[in-house]
Amino acid sequence: MKFKIKKEDILDVLSKVQGITGRKSNLAITSNILIKTTGNGIKLVITDLETGFEGIYPADIESQGTITINSRKFYEIVKEFPSKEIQVDEVENYWIKIHNKNVEYNIVGMNPDDFPETPEIEDVDFFTVDSQIFKDMIEKTIIISGAPDEKRTHITGIYFELQHQKKENIFRMVSTDGNRLSKVDCIYEKDLKLPKKTGILVPKKGMSEVVKFLDSTGTVKIGIKNNNFIIKKDFETIIIRLLEGNFPEYGDIIKRGSSHAIHMDRKMFVSMLKRMSILSSEDYKGVIFNFKEDNLSITTTNPELGESKEDMVIDYKGDPIEVAFNPRYIMETMSVIDSDKIIVNIIDSEKPCLLEGENDDTYLSVIMPMRI
Amino acid sequence: MGPKRSCRGMDKIRKIIHIDMDAFYASVEQRDRPELKGKPVIVGGDPNGRGVVAACSYEARTFGIHSAMASSIAYKRCPHAIFLKPRFDTYKSVSADIREIFCEYTDLVEPLSLDEAFLDVTQNKKGMPSATRIAREILEKIYDKSRGLTASAGVSFNKFLAKIASDFNKPRGITVVTPDDAADFIDRLPIRKFFGVGKVTEGKMHTLGIKTGDDLKKIDKEKLINIFGKNGHYFYNIARGIDHRPVEPEWIRKSIGKETTFREDIDDKTQMLEILGQLSVKIENLLKIDGRKGTTITLKVKYFDFQCITRSVTVREPIVDADTIMRYIQALLDNTEAGMKKVRLLGVSVSNFIDASRTVKKYRQLPLPFSAEIRSDSLARSLIVED
Repeated sequence: MKFKIKKEDILDVLSKVQGITGRKSNLAITSNILIKTTGNGIKLVITDLETGFEGIYPADIESQGTITINSRKFYEIVKEFPSKEIQVDEVENYWIKIHNKNVEYNIVGMNPDDFPETPEIEDVDFFTVDSQIFKDMIEKTIIISGAPDEKRTHITGIYFELQHQKKENIFRMVSTDGNRLSKVDCIYEKDLKLPKKTGILVPKKGMSEVVKFLDSTGTVKIGIKNNNFIIKKDFETIIIRLLEGNFPEYGDIIKRGSSHAIHMDRKMFVSMLKRMSILSSEDYKGVIFNFKEDNLSITTTNPELGESKEDMVIDYKGDPIEVAFNPRYIMETMSVIDSDKIIVNIIDSEKPCLLEGENDDTYLSVIMPMRI
Repeated sequence: MGPKRSCRGMDKIRKIIHIDMDAFYASVEQRDRPELKGKPVIVGGDPNGRGVVAACSYEARTFGIHSAMASSIAYKRCPHAIFLKPRFDTYKSVSADIREIFCEYTDLVEPLSLDEAFLDVTQNKKGMPSATRIAREILEKIYDKSRGLTASAGVSFNKFLAKIASDFNKPRGITVVTPDDAADFIDRLPIRKFFGVGKVTEGKMHTLGIKTGDDLKKIDKEKLINIFGKNGHYFYNIARGIDHRPVEPEWIRKSIGKETTFREDIDDKTQMLEILGQLSVKIENLLKIDGRKGTTITLKVKYFDFQCITRSVTVREPIVDADTIMRYIQALLDNTEAGMKKVRLLGVSVSNFIDASRTVKKYRQLPLPFSAEIRSDSLARSLIVED
């Protein structure tokens, strides 16, 4: 095979797929990109055996064929290539020559027949979502990730489900790590078919790759086929294998119940938390929140470093509550809330605390306290 | 605890009493068994074994027996002495009764052991101006409440002098050292009587020509610090009657240690390390119970000839487990003559705790209260992961 590509046409995608090809799988070849010529362009295929990617890009094809090349090295070569046009030729024994008239690379390739098959994605019932809204939903849920060695699928995956509330169809994504939970809703018009009534679990790893491909304008199609979650743009498709398992019953956890709703300025609250977490450490993560009439006082005590304390005037009228939290959890939630004002719904020192933006009931974050 | 209370005594002269029970354990035994009265009574280890004398009656002392002496030696000096095993529960209950008496006068009571304590009566509950008077009342009350046990008291304006004074006129004596007599009192004091001067330091002092407090006062500060390290500073001050240490009411444990005396002296280092390992494990448990982290590890070695040395190291990392202790103990042991000399006792202690009053518990993250089914599943898994 022989083709000529423009640097600008593939540099961006090569950068975006490094996350997938950089992930170790059981097969060495998954650190490679499969490049296949099509009628008037090339198709790039990438997979880590859980998340797959396919995209079509313009190229001048001199002769047809298929190659695989190390993703990282190919990306670096393209990135540093001095000219706009890059000539790629297949040489014998899967060797690949990348060159222009001054520069020449000869790269060891691998047998494209060894590259894993990509799942069939014909006949999918797609449903269209706003690209920015979907991106936003993912960002609000993947902030909660489990430990790197976490195996429980309700923690390694984001739960997608459909709800019918107040005559509206709601497309919902929920994420948890066992200590906190994020829920984000989006109202949709058309039907989205899920294979199971109970919803599906999509790996957070794959979803974090999806975010990179979502634009801030336009729409994307999403669908499900044969235990795969599919996200489709005009020339790019991501296929993620669903996780098996159930998501815990979370309905009670997101109920507001008899909590005190405290309204606060988001930025001021975040600055306060940043200051109060300077003295927290791996061993002493917790900071103590003291809610008293019209006052919130946050204290940090770290026997190895010292103590800190800060007061803030708040609108609170209930009985005093002393409760400890991991401030990182709250700050992460605050970073994805869009509203300038937030609402902290607190019950007591051992019940879930609900955080949300004012005038925005699509996103809700639930954080469990730490026991003092 | 707040900042040190030392300022209390700086602007005003303090009134400190040191109360020391006379031959406490032995006296309790003589009280409870009248047939022992007037006889040499020794409470402590078995004279055929390797224990030591914990206390002895005044009758026993006339034979040159004193506490901390090996029981076997005490036996040699006085074969007809009555050797008794200590009954700590009884001593503890007597001690608690006595402490109640102290508290009638002040809450600033710092017990040093079951049988001695410091009291700061500068301001006392009875508004009594005379500390000597308080001391006398306390000794009387002890005698009545404990059915005949006696104590001695030292009254002065700091702990150092009060403690030496209580020992000055035993048994049943009260010695008062006023700021005016202090200089005279210290000048005439044999160096051995200074708190913190043991056999070894005494020897060093003697070679320097220091036999009394007066001699000590003549040595300049730098020289003392050069010879005795940080104790030099202490010696310099006490020779001048300066001791700002406050009476610390709550007895704060300053170290956690374990030691063991062997049935027979040993010279095998591997065996020593094995024993030290066992002691370290015990200390690890004690540290865990108290939730403390120390930064100083001390090795104590008593050789066959009763010469006792300590080697210690202060480290940056908080010491919480036996493995860490043993990492340092090995090096400390190599820095002794253990092995070349036979060893009779080995001890390990951890001290210099990371500000104990500031020790806070780590908070534990609570899990989300999901429905029972999943929760039990995740609970089971998390149990496995944590183990």
